[in-house]
Amino acid sequence: MNKILLFLLLSFFMADLSSAQNQQIARQGQVSFFSYTSVENIEANNNQVLSIIDYSKSKIAVSMLMRAFVFKKDLMYEHFNESYIESDLYPKANFEGIIIDFDENLASQTKIIKGQLSIHGVTKDIEIKTKIQKNKGNYTLDGEFDVLVKDFKINIPPILASNIAKTIAIKFRFQYQPYEE
Amino acid sequence: MKNKFIHKSILFICIAIITSIQSQSLLDKLDKEFSNIVFDEIATFKTTRLGLMHSIETRKKGALQLSLYFRYWDTPNATGQKFLADEVSTRYGLEYAFTDNFTFGLGYTNFDKIADGFLKYRLLKQKNKDKKGWFSLTLVQTLSHRKVENTSGNLYQPSTSSEDIYAFVTQALFARKFNPNLSIQIAPTFIHRASNSNSNDANNQFAIGFGGRHKITKHTSLVSEYNYVVNPVKSFDTYNTFMIGVNWEVSDLMLQFHLTNARNFAEDTFLTQTTNNFNFKDPNLHFGVNATYIIHTKKKKIKEITD
Repeated sequence: MNKILLFLLLSFFMADLSSAQNQQIARQGQVSFFSYTSVENIEANNNQVLSIIDYSKSKIAVSMLMRAFVFKKDLMYEHFNESYIESDLYPKANFEGIIIDFDENLASQTKIIKGQLSIHGVTKDIEIKTKIQKNKGNYTLDGEFDVLVKDFKINIPPILASNIAKTIAIKFRFQYQPYEE
Repeated sequence: MKNKFIHKSILFICIAIITSIQSQSLLDKLDKEFSNIVFDEIATFKTTRLGLMHSIETRKKGALQLSLYFRYWDTPNATGQKFLADEVSTRYGLEYAFTDNFTFGLGYTNFDKIADGFLKYRLLKQKNKDKKGWFSLTLVQTLSHRKVENTSGNLYQPSTSSEDIYAFVTQALFARKFNPNLSIQIAPTFIHRASNSNSNDANNQFAIGFGGRHKITKHTSLVSEYNYVVNPVKSFDTYNTFMIGVNWEVSDLMLQFHLTNARNFAEDTFLTQTTNNFNFKDPNLHFGVNATYIIHTKKKKIKEITD
């Protein structure tokens, strides 16, 4: 009985270790977004985005703090956090998904990532076309996609409707390295 | 038999623990990395004033703030016909933020002809994690100046001289944002006048201000404040000041509408020399509008995403 227990324990720990070996993390991932209107252009960048990729299971997760976005004008930063994204209530934006038809051995490939994007407490299914590169065993992902402001229940008062675009363009780039806890 | 049962249960617990470790999602792993990041609270108040008194907020480095404060009131038994209100007092203000924590401001009020200046420094900032700092503290030092014309001499040889009157106000503003909607501020205040028209009046006075805001929508909030004077002047009747109003934020422009009994804008005068109580009789009720506009003279550079 004791031997069985020991064997079971060992095998489970081994399985757990091997899964960690197939993971890579990006701690300084970059995400920017753009809102272009005839009244004003708003752009912001966050270069402390976290992402983790499990290449044996083709899984990916991304998480970022809304407070870490940098804007050109400080008032934009305050309005973004206070009135629109409400970062006191919803401090993070998250994404979790699966890379469709991912081949972990290719040096360069463009694939669709299918998953759920959560912003402002609202989760939406989304598909993102992503360029995946592999250099010296480490992956780099980049791409861009659009989101609709109204999909995430972000209210823009009518008086400011012309200042903020209805579609926000999002760009990202993550450079991964082997994951250690 | 008992031994076997224990073994089985241990086995079960082990499997449960291991599977729970393995089922830990990728997002859970990322959550752990964020657990110790601390931010300063932002927007305890939306602008640099509650209504009458300063708020703990200052503008960020390079911001130039232009402000126009109006106060309207009616005089009883007014003779002429005026549009909207009988009297109006306007303060023209300018503020510049040298750093994120340090602001310098100037203002001039046309009704009482008081020029004022102030320095404002943010000493402590409330953090999003309570243990590291649960309130904000901002220090304010103001200086105000007015010229008073004195008529002396006798009926046949009148001579006028003018006297410069200076007053200083030191305030420590303590504020806490209790939740995204509610913020409260308490402001112990020391007022010093360099000279007094009546020698019975104390040159040094103490006051304490209480204020708060509660958000109604994402862009509007209800604000109120009450300033209590500990040792009011004795030579004439004065009242503590009260204000209730609504703030409305429209992009770079902030509009504050309020009802108050305070007529003056400079801290030393409205705190200690408000001669009317808060009620709806003329000329006690004052309708105030503060319009504040921000110009960013320095813009942050945004990094482009690079390879």
